[in-house]
Amino acid sequence: MKKRLLYTCLAGVISAALLSGCQKQAGQEAAATVKDQANTEAATKVSEGSSKDELVFVNFRDIRDLNPHLYAGEMYAQEMLYETLVNITPEGYAPCLAESWNISEDGKTYTFKIRKGVTFSDGEVCDANAIKANFDAIIENKERHTWLEMMNLLVGVSAPDAETFVIELSQPYYPMLTELGVTRPFAMISPKAMKNGSTKDDVESYIGTGPYVLKESVTDEYAVFEVNENYWGEKPKVKKITVKVIPDNQTRVLALEKGEVDLIYGKNMIDADAVNKYKESDKFSVSLSDATSTRQIVINTTNDILKDKTVRQAIQHATNRQAISDGIFYGLEKPADTLYSNTVPYCNVGLTPYEFSEDKASKMLEESGWVMGSQNVREKDGTPLKLTLLYNSDSVTEKTIAEYLQSEYGKLGIGLEIKGEEEQSYRDNMKAGNFDMVFNICWGLPYDPQSSLAGMRQRVYGDYAAQQGLADKAEIDKAITEIMVSTDKEKRQELYRFVLTRLHEDAVYIPLTYECNKAIYRSDLKGVGFTQTQYEVPFAQMYFE
Amino acid sequence: MKSYIVKRILSAIPLLLMISFLCFVFINMIPSDPAEVALRVRQTPVITEDAILQVREELGLNDPYLVRYLRWVGNCLKLDFGVSYTNPSRTVLGEISRCFPATFVLAMSSLVIVIVLSLPIGFFCAVYKDSLFDRIVRGIVFMTTAMPAYWVGLLLIWLISIKWDLLPTSGSGTIKHLILPSLTVALTYISTYIRLIRNNMLENMKEDYVLYANVRGLKQSTILVRHILKNSLHTCIVAIGMSVPQLMAGTIVVENVFAWPGLGKLCIASIFNRDYPVIQTYVLLIGTLLVVFNLLFDIIQSIADPRLRREVS
Repeated sequence: MKKRLLYTCLAGVISAALLSGCQKQAGQEAAATVKDQANTEAATKVSEGSSKDELVFVNFRDIRDLNPHLYAGEMYAQEMLYETLVNITPEGYAPCLAESWNISEDGKTYTFKIRKGVTFSDGEVCDANAIKANFDAIIENKERHTWLEMMNLLVGVSAPDAETFVIELSQPYYPMLTELGVTRPFAMISPKAMKNGSTKDDVESYIGTGPYVLKESVTDEYAVFEVNENYWGEKPKVKKITVKVIPDNQTRVLALEKGEVDLIYGKNMIDADAVNKYKESDKFSVSLSDATSTRQIVINTTNDILKDKTVRQAIQHATNRQAISDGIFYGLEKPADTLYSNTVPYCNVGLTPYEFSEDKASKMLEESGWVMGSQNVREKDGTPLKLTLLYNSDSVTEKTIAEYLQSEYGKLGIGLEIKGEEEQSYRDNMKAGNFDMVFNICWGLPYDPQSSLAGMRQRVYGDYAAQQGLADKAEIDKAITEIMVSTDKEKRQELYRFVLTRLHEDAVYIPLTYECNKAIYRSDLKGVGFTQTQYEVPFAQMYFE
Repeated sequence: MKSYIVKRILSAIPLLLMISFLCFVFINMIPSDPAEVALRVRQTPVITEDAILQVREELGLNDPYLVRYLRWVGNCLKLDFGVSYTNPSRTVLGEISRCFPATFVLAMSSLVIVIVLSLPIGFFCAVYKDSLFDRIVRGIVFMTTAMPAYWVGLLLIWLISIKWDLLPTSGSGTIKHLILPSLTVALTYISTYIRLIRNNMLENMKEDYVLYANVRGLKQSTILVRHILKNSLHTCIVAIGMSVPQLMAGTIVVENVFAWPGLGKLCIASIFNRDYPVIQTYVLLIGTLLVVFNLLFDIIQSIADPRLRREVS
């Protein structure tokens, strides 16, 4: 009896499933036909033209507010829409909206010749007056931008005629062009898109002079960019870029595998496993950039134990950076020899890295009087060699490195206590100098080395606190100040050499690895490269083969 | 009956106030300065004290937090939930109403899957207790309860989207996009309900009325469906009703895996960005839903079950 009921029900369920399956199949078939048709059409289009010209990019979050004078939007998207007066390239500054420029003898007046015939994508002319309107809007919200030193030095801007734009500073400042060239805030939006000449709170629309225009955007789902038909420069080969939002790392890689996404790009968008998996694949290619920034440990020189330079140098020798690079980053982040990579401007000054040598380290510790005591911890005058390493507990890699160092240093008789704190209190402690040793990442390109060195003179980050125990701190700071106002390139290089050598010899920073940008993409996508600004994705150079 | 409903509604108000207050207190105990985090989220390369002060002023963070709480509650009554800290051009109400429909659709389709699958399976598990079918189902139920949704989601993407190439991996827009995420959400609940229905039915089978029905010579199928199943469903109705808000809250992880543009994704992003107004409103919304559904299904149950009605009156 029961059985018959079961069979009846099962039969019912199965037939219902079959029925719905058929229906769905029919629907799917219809959909598939339409899709096939579309595909064939697309295929014919491709064969008629040269190749595929639509790219699907993926990011972990929405493009958000693309007001170029504020900081709430995704930088790669702002780079697609807007342009700055100059571009920063590996070879130096290149003309962009300014065709050429002239710096006065005293280094205080910058005169730009504005490129003729450039229009915003709404048809407005981008001349010196439009640029002045942009600067006025930026200056109106000056407090927001004072992290750029030039904002503090700015005396005034003017547009004597439609092709000339002048910026006056109160004193010479050599990184001026870099600050004008970074993504924001000095990117130009159409004056028509401003709200009564202001961009402080909001803008009407995202209209720039860049190679792409924003066609459509659905919050948290996707955004569509199309090539700017009126672009003054060479038009990009990829005509349409769709940016999908996928927050999860694994799903992003799976979407790439499925072919729903053509390119994944960024510093933290791809993990080492994925990179290693696709390195060998023919379907996908992997690219890694030069160093964008340095992962490092900052040593507090005011600490009673660490104020001794020999101890700091011993710790440098005790740090196996190669092992960290291989074991924790699977070779993805190369071991860092110095505070800034050699590829960073002005930083190729031939410093000798501290080689990893346990013998050297223990010899140096013996020399400064730290002898092995009980419980395998060195002692000097009854004080044990115990230090605390502070890390950001939100960062898995920092924790792993900390644990590794704890065991390595332990072998040499350095008792390392590791302490993880939530991001905010980690930062607060760093700023206040409440640490013996702490993890840090330098600002990265294009702010290295000038802005991060300039920051060492201010109480904004841990560097200032950490360097207080250095005998030559005043001398270093003076040199940094001189760098900023120097007008002669060779003298500037000399000053950089001096500062970087001092910091290296003082052993304040233990460089660990160099972070880099990573990209995984379909093999037929070419021209995937990296720029001097780490948050930019150079879509304009890309093309399909 | 009426006074019962009124009483229940009135008692919900202090409950909601308490939820919102606790939520507010806990969020404010997070040792981050939301102004500083907002600046960091906006990718300001150097965060100066001036900038922090300016943003704090802008976000109204300078008042003591009891004042902020009262202001927030007052505004909530006017349906003004404030603006997002990280994206001041958007209101919280706008954000929530943008994301709500997607989550609602996901939760409802999961609910349909849960009901359609767990009802017959639970029924047959009870009828054929300890048979091979029952044992296999119990094994599967045991496994799916233990598997985290995150992992199940990724496995499904890998198998169905990539290996079999049947469905898109993530995103939204079509029915096809809906299938995998709703299945993932449903899986955790299906096992719970299969067990619930099975156990309820088994308990009911031991009741005297079943014996009496057998004595009356009723058909087995009639006894099973019209008597046992019907009586077992009473508790299930409440459980399923309560699972609606639970499903809406339970989509958090799944939405992030499948890039489903709903409340869960909004909530995770807000937690990372310390976007307090959004988190508070989200918690308040889910709390309200739980209270409302609890009330609703209590009432429905008391209508459906005369014994409960008698107790109430």
